[in-house]
Amino acid sequence: MLISRAPLRISFVGGGTDIKDFYSEYPGRVISTTIDKYVYVVINHAEFLNEFMLKYSQTEIVKNIDDIQHNRFREALKEVGIRSGGMEIASFADLPSKTGLGSSSSFSVALIKALYANKGKKISKEQVAREACKLEIDILKEPIGKQDQYAVAYGGLNIFQFNKDDTVTVEPVFVDFKTQADFEEHMLFFYTGITRSASSVLSEQKSKIKENFEIYKKMSDSVYEFRDKLIAGDFKALGEMLHHAWTWKKKLSSKMSGGEIDALYESALRKGAWGGKVLGAGGGGCLLFLAPPKKHAAIRQELSSVAESFGLKDSRLINFMLTNSGADVLFNTANNDHA
Amino acid sequence: MLNYIENFTEELSHHLAALPKEEISRAINIIKSVYERDGRIYVFGNGGSLAIATHWVGDFNKTVFGNNLDRKMRRFQAVRLPSTETEITAWANDIGFDMIFAGPLQNYLQETDCLIAISSSGNSSNVIKAVELANKNHVPVIGLSGFDGGKLNQLADAKVVVKTGKGAYAMVESIHHAILHLLTSYFQDYFNDLIIRQDGKKPQKNSLS
Repeated sequence: MLISRAPLRISFVGGGTDIKDFYSEYPGRVISTTIDKYVYVVINHAEFLNEFMLKYSQTEIVKNIDDIQHNRFREALKEVGIRSGGMEIASFADLPSKTGLGSSSSFSVALIKALYANKGKKISKEQVAREACKLEIDILKEPIGKQDQYAVAYGGLNIFQFNKDDTVTVEPVFVDFKTQADFEEHMLFFYTGITRSASSVLSEQKSKIKENFEIYKKMSDSVYEFRDKLIAGDFKALGEMLHHAWTWKKKLSSKMSGGEIDALYESALRKGAWGGKVLGAGGGGCLLFLAPPKKHAAIRQELSSVAESFGLKDSRLINFMLTNSGADVLFNTANNDHA
Repeated sequence: MLNYIENFTEELSHHLAALPKEEISRAINIIKSVYERDGRIYVFGNGGSLAIATHWVGDFNKTVFGNNLDRKMRRFQAVRLPSTETEITAWANDIGFDMIFAGPLQNYLQETDCLIAISSSGNSSNVIKAVELANKNHVPVIGLSGFDGGKLNQLADAKVVVKTGKGAYAMVESIHHAILHLLTSYFQDYFNDLIIRQDGKKPQKNSLS
């Protein structure tokens, strides 16, 4: 048996600049962190099973790889070069999908890491990120960028720079435990219960990159200001930066916000939040706010009642901590030779 | 006499001030990652460096949680390498002194672990052998070196070099000790702070429940 996992991530500023249409013209940059919520992939060798048995929200039992319905499973198995069955693969997640926390890339990264480990190969953070990008962007043609795969493969609080030649520069942001804990206490994280696929928002954004080039440039450049304010512990300034970015981002896609999202966002600001953002590509998922800790109770109450008025039954607050470790193989009795 | 003492302390202060702070930050992040994934920290070196490693393991495993020993929480697993004299002599006698660290290490090294390799020259071949094993397995290495850093500083993920002239063992080893104490203090303060915040914090309930 083999267990791998990859964390979920929160991106603060720069999302959208990780798309090739942008970074082939100007360096794309994102500042993000991983959190203590994970996607797990388990591989078990089943001696009496000739097929592949895949267990996720559904169960698939297939003899031939090409018959696998789940795109990522199918293409990842092909990429890593696994052909013969006798294998159960299952996935587990701490949070549901479509929360805007990059969970689909966490799954790809954890899966690729596990499939290589299963072959007795240990791969670097860079390789697992690069291969997950290839799987999702080149093979599956998803209209997404590269930030999630890199964020969750590396782990921690980092600035990622997406270069013209398709390389990615990783610059860790060093924040001591006290600033980090203060930062966590200022963040308020609300799952709206609205689930929309990132693809529809991203497709529209992607088609408008040329048109909105100057906005993207500003977002890419702003990661350094975000880093400096974070190191200084100026959470009010960070909240205000998120609010500015939110107003810019609304110009990037008509689907980015919507009646409910806008209403929730504004209700939090009314109760004292400095600013916030929709996590992920927008249109649903989670809202992240920065607010003085003493205002959190009032904001939580307001968000709950606004969500209730929209009938968003699944909405809830999510508690989390920031983490450092990226994608890992936690357990491996299948193929684990150190020599 | 006073001059001699002053010269020594001045030289020490000069090297302390020139420490690569970003690389020490990297080392802290590596150790934090290892804690998150419940891995082990293997620490080793030759001679004085082995003594430093042994001292640190004793401190780190207990002192970090020293104020909270009654609290049930996962602790660090730092291990001096090799953990028995038997292994040192067996590998040295049967295979070669080069393998006293890498030999035992290959028995238990996991991807979730990390190494702290200590070598003043950065070129001790038995230290480098263990570091190469870690590199091959993508296990992060914190390298504590001196002089010009040697091979260790090239191969390590956190390149903590105390830059001195060749042979300045007193400076290098004193400062390696201080750096390791810094790591212990950092995590002691971190867990104290975490526990105080957790105890003071009321659990947040789901908004609609």
